[in-house]
Amino acid sequence: MDPARRLGPAEIDVFAQLAVSTLLLGGIYALIAVGLTLIFGIMRVVNFAHGEYLMLGMYLAFWAFSLLALDPYVVLPASLVIFFVVGLLTYALVMRGVIHASHNVQIFTTVGLSIALQNVALVLWTGDFRVIRPWHSSVVIRLGGTAFNLSQVVAFAVAVALTIGLLLFMRRTHTGRVMRATAQDRDAATLMGIDTDRVYRLTFAIGIACVGAAGALVAPLYATYPQAGLQFVLIAYVVVVLGGLGDMAGALLGSLIVAAVEVAGSYVFGAAWKEVLYFVLFIGVLVFRPAGLFGQRGAETLGA
Amino acid sequence: MRWLAPGRAAAALLFAGAAVVPLLSRDSFFLDSVILILLWGSLSAAWNVAGGYAGQVSLGHAAFFGIGAYAAALASARYEQSPWLGLAVGVLLSIVAGALIGYLSNRLKGPYFALSTIAFAEVLKIVASRWRGFTAGSEGIPVPYRPGFWTLGLDHVAWLYLALTLALVCYGLQVYLEKSRVGYRLAGVREDEDAAEALGIATRRLKVAAVMLSAALTAVGGSLWAQYVGFVDPAHVFSIDLSIRFALNSIIGGMGTALGPFLGSVLITMLETYLRATFSGMKAGFSGIYLIIYGTVLILVVRFAPEGVTGLADRVWRRRGAARAEAA
Amino acid sequence: MLTLEGVSKHFGGLTAVREVSLQVRAGDLLGIIGPNGAGKTTLFNVIAGYYRPEAGRVVLEGRNVTGLPPHAISRLGLTRTFQIVKPFGNLSVLENVMIGALSPLPSTRQARAEAERVIAVCGLGLHAHARARALPLALRKRLEVARALATHPRLLLLDEVMAGLNPTELVGMVDLVRRLHADGLTIIVIEHIMAAMMRLAQRIVVLHHGEKIAEGTPQEIASDRRVVDAYLGEDFSLAEA
Repeated sequence: MDPARRLGPAEIDVFAQLAVSTLLLGGIYALIAVGLTLIFGIMRVVNFAHGEYLMLGMYLAFWAFSLLALDPYVVLPASLVIFFVVGLLTYALVMRGVIHASHNVQIFTTVGLSIALQNVALVLWTGDFRVIRPWHSSVVIRLGGTAFNLSQVVAFAVAVALTIGLLLFMRRTHTGRVMRATAQDRDAATLMGIDTDRVYRLTFAIGIACVGAAGALVAPLYATYPQAGLQFVLIAYVVVVLGGLGDMAGALLGSLIVAAVEVAGSYVFGAAWKEVLYFVLFIGVLVFRPAGLFGQRGAETLGA
Repeated sequence: MRWLAPGRAAAALLFAGAAVVPLLSRDSFFLDSVILILLWGSLSAAWNVAGGYAGQVSLGHAAFFGIGAYAAALASARYEQSPWLGLAVGVLLSIVAGALIGYLSNRLKGPYFALSTIAFAEVLKIVASRWRGFTAGSEGIPVPYRPGFWTLGLDHVAWLYLALTLALVCYGLQVYLEKSRVGYRLAGVREDEDAAEALGIATRRLKVAAVMLSAALTAVGGSLWAQYVGFVDPAHVFSIDLSIRFALNSIIGGMGTALGPFLGSVLITMLETYLRATFSGMKAGFSGIYLIIYGTVLILVVRFAPEGVTGLADRVWRRRGAARAEAA
Repeated sequence: MLTLEGVSKHFGGLTAVREVSLQVRAGDLLGIIGPNGAGKTTLFNVIAGYYRPEAGRVVLEGRNVTGLPPHAISRLGLTRTFQIVKPFGNLSVLENVMIGALSPLPSTRQARAEAERVIAVCGLGLHAHARARALPLALRKRLEVARALATHPRLLLLDEVMAGLNPTELVGMVDLVRRLHADGLTIIVIEHIMAAMMRLAQRIVVLHHGEKIAEGTPQEIASDRRVVDAYLGEDFSLAEA
């Protein structure tokens, strides 16, 4: 959780190191958050179970590494596919029936899903903390007074590549445009002959594929355990609300802001208090700019 | 709001049943179950005041529970004062916290409100875990057992009547919210705030008031729970799981009904007891399997019976009533 | 009774209402018409306190109410209905109207009696115990009126209570509004359909692109060149409905 301190030798340039740590952390948060914001933007559902898919992604990487000696980055493409399918299944079994239901129904459906998935992991794999250390997690790269390990860099690069790929997909492809049209106006989309059910199914699957892939990326950096998703998903909510729920470019920026708060906060106040900082930030944004730092007012009542 | 007469009868039966339990059995396991049903039911009823009646669906009520629990535990463990004093302090602090949360989150709806309440509870959890000098941090505080009413060192029978008293207070309050002027107006706020404003209802103030009342009751439950169980730690008393549990009882029983939270508490506690008996042989398994089922039940209930058991019963009752009317 | 002085309301760069002034005297039945997007509902939202105007004042019975919250304005005797009806969906018709009646009345018993009376006046007697969300549109529009009426307003703002009604339902609604007016209630009606308004209102204000372009009796309005022009762009004519 604290890249700045873990590397710690005194000779590194503090500010450069903080900046680099922010960037690396921000990239990973972006990949987790982008799926969440995609699902919210198009389906108008806040997925409280999002973190559990991250946790499952981490377990997939863990088991692939410890049973088959597969590197998490080798598992990554498989993760994307597997979690895409998991997303399709979850949509068909759980989400489809509540897509037009009230907020309360949606909230408690995904909360129920979160509880169930967490405990499936607990029953199958116990509550032990699992750590993997592939070779690249111990390769330290030093650059101009900063130091970081290879896993962080790769995780960052892949996360950013996937996020940008998703953004391009949404902007450039026909399917992406159809998805955005549906986000803008559900009823109009239906009238224009768009199969909204298909759009939602695809949206949910892509969102889950992103966060599942993120699981493989963070597995070498953080411990894996059944509640591992919780800390990340809370951060992801902060990111998403900062960027404006449903705004994917905003999520990128939000990730950097949250990462900066976290990195700077743990440097100034110590790692113990940094979470308080971003929750305070979170509450502040929800209260004063509920549509996000850059969003338009009034969006918080959308879908109400 | 609808299932009135039979609902009242069922509640009377439930509370009367709880009251006579000590006359029939002194088995501590059995008494413990009844106490917990009443305590969780009361806490859920407290949640229901905000979530069910005012439509302020919170997933952070553990914040108020934790404040109550810590206030009572610190009063007796650290200051060697009566936990009742701690309870009073906890209630006051919770009212302040409730006013703050209610006021700050006033304009937020649905998932936004839920998220902001989660964040509030998380902040308190972190503060309680990190402020070692005061709260003893994440190790938690064992609450000393000193016999007597004033020190809340009670036997199971006394605890049962104490929990029953709290349950009756919470139930009575909910009935008041169904019958009274303020209750009707609150229902208007829950159903449509713009329309309620147009009718002259100060919606913001009413919502904050509902959250404050709900917070106060939750803190009472938290204080009593801390004394009953004898131990508080931040990871549990401020957890999302706990907040979900308060909500879950109400949802399963029926949100916005007086009986719902208690009915939900009976069902969930029975399910828990049954599963505990069934899976107790498994290593690490029980709580996991119990919670998998718990999560699945939650999904199924909100999907197929979003108005809970009382809502289902209401539908059956009305259908039978209609059939009888037709026959006559 | 109600005076608007140069009221303007912007949304970002868009001006929804521009310097509108008008006067409503006690006992008036004023119609506000205009094509879609003319700013009618925005004007209601400003009057009733839902929006704060960027310029101008709203004066109710000599008191400046600009910027007061809607509930405070409602308590001063001005109650509105909503174009997109907002029933308390899970409650019965009776309960809906009771909530309105509980504003002036202290007890649920009195409110119930009053609600029953208002429900009868509005022709909802047969549906008193139906769930509001189960009602057809015409009855939900009536429910809007009944609920507002139960607050005992001195000035009633009706926002398109006739839109979407079939001819029979329309006649019923026009008749209801007439009766309320005859009983001494001051009423402002927003309507999209000009023909209905011509039969109903004593005086009409025409909004176009957020500005007041005409005011007068129905006859004066019908022959006003600018009004006809404003409506020509649309599919609506005086003959409709």
